[in-house]
Amino acid sequence: MSEETIVRGQLPVRPKQPLRWITTAAGVAAVVVLHALAIQGTGFEPGLLVDGWKGMASFVADAFPPDLSWEKTIRPGLDATLVTLWIGLLGTTFSVPFALLLAILAARTTTPHHLAYQASRAVLSFFRAVPDIVFALIFVTAVGLGPFAGVLALICHNTGVMGKLWAESMEECDSGPQEALRTAGANRIQQVANATLPMVVPQFVGLLLYRFDVNVRSSLVLGLVGAGGIGLLINQSIKSFRFDAMVTDILIVLVLIIAVDQLSAWVRRRLAA
Amino acid sequence: MDPALLSVRGLRKSFGNRPVLNNVGFDVRAGELVAFLGANGSGKSTTLRCVMGIAQPDAGVVAVDGDDLAKLPWRQLQEARRRTAMIFQKIHLVPRRTALDNVCAGALARIPTGRSLSPLFFPRSIQLEALDCLDRVGLADRAFERVGRLSGGQQQRVAVARALCQRADVVLADEPVSALDPHAADQVMALLHHLAHVEKLAVAAVLHQPDLALRHADRCIGLLHGTMAFDLPSSDVGPVHLDALYAPDRVAAA
Ligand SMILES: Nc1ncnc2c1ncn2[C@@H]1O[C@H](COP(=O)(O)OP(=O)(O)OP(=O)(O)O)[C@@H](O)[C@H]1O
Ligand SMILES: [Mg+2]
Repeated sequence: MSEETIVRGQLPVRPKQPLRWITTAAGVAAVVVLHALAIQGTGFEPGLLVDGWKGMASFVADAFPPDLSWEKTIRPGLDATLVTLWIGLLGTTFSVPFALLLAILAARTTTPHHLAYQASRAVLSFFRAVPDIVFALIFVTAVGLGPFAGVLALICHNTGVMGKLWAESMEECDSGPQEALRTAGANRIQQVANATLPMVVPQFVGLLLYRFDVNVRSSLVLGLVGAGGIGLLINQSIKSFRFDAMVTDILIVLVLIIAVDQLSAWVRRRLAA
Repeated sequence: MDPALLSVRGLRKSFGNRPVLNNVGFDVRAGELVAFLGANGSGKSTTLRCVMGIAQPDAGVVAVDGDDLAKLPWRQLQEARRRTAMIFQKIHLVPRRTALDNVCAGALARIPTGRSLSPLFFPRSIQLEALDCLDRVGLADRAFERVGRLSGGQQQRVAVARALCQRADVVLADEPVSALDPHAADQVMALLHHLAHVEKLAVAAVLHQPDLALRHADRCIGLLHGTMAFDLPSSDVGPVHLDALYAPDRVAAA
């Protein structure tokens, strides 16, 4: 049947790839050169760290034991942590409609037109490329300092990231069911609603939880630039040299992060079952 | 004689420089059950995919009820697609949805877009019809089971039910009984036979069981390396024809 004769007990000659060694060597050389340039460019010098150990030691001495007074540190810390959590939550859920719409337009298998595909890809790239902290600084000029600016910033950035991830998971999923509905005469919206989306629900929820996890941590950083929450408290503690209070805040954050992580792992396990 | 509901002429298709279909042509009339026979890789699925417009043939004409599909404006093409149903070799159901919802999806062309966004909004009449289709393949009692939890053969029967719910005039089936036990296979073949002879649809099915084909089909078409080996009434097909179809592969495997 096939064109080449296959002799029993003898392996056919593999197609040759003559340039393989040269390309591998060139690749390794390129990586080495890039690292040399990067070490120069960042002033990477472990010696500095050894020389400066005293500064770190005094910092740690100031920070321990952590300040565990309820009224002065723990309670404000818990309140602020809750705000951080809320920012992460709204930033994730309120971006769902935008991400969903853009993802459907930006997936090759579901897009109605290649112009819509290109346009939505560009929009998603833009929201992804601008860091959430930049969005926060922009929104602060409009709505003032505080958590609301943080929520808006996360909505924008998360739309870009989650839209891209969702679009990719739709492109990767088996397109057979969608094709079956198309040949049955269903229109594009019907195909997406009844084949593509129900096929990718587990991936979508998994990515949503992953983004919630990331966004709670981002909202911490946003707090540092004035979006409120525990990030703001940590920033204030550093500025007033209250390192023992800062350690308490960081411990509270640690508990929050672990709790969010456990929650999303649990939901994903349930979903897979 | 009934008119040809599906008529295919001069179909050609190659993948890269491997010719897969070479001048394939046939008619399927209303009220007729036609079986496609042929060895693995002889081009049976590709033929059906070209007819359905899933694969683009390099040359050839596919006409449904006399209308050349390549020349139809978009709206009428949509209607022609609605009138042709395909049961896929790889089933292509949505595993997370119930059997009933999957069968309803066959009727999407008759459901307004606004009511098709979620199975919760599917019209009651369509759901009843879907239940009826499931009943015809013997699965009404599993209507609310997720398809992913059904056995392979049960899934294949749900796929048949989905095609029924499309209310097509032409039904193409790619190995609709390959995963079925002998009894269920006979049941599905009898159903296809009923669709052709009683409901006057044009039915074509790819089969790997010549005995089932000879028993149920009115006509058998043999494909050999992408060419038409024979197109005969089932009563005229004998061991000579079948040996010619399957022998080349046996020689290669020996
Ligand atoms: N998308 C594709 N790209 C390249 N080659 C393909 C593609 N689809 C099918 N072929 C080739 O076309 C030939 C016919 O395939 P086809 O699926 O039509 O066979 P078949 O008769 O349905 O076989 P089976 O009985 O195994 O289902 C095979 O050699 C296959 O490798
Ligand atoms: Mg096949």
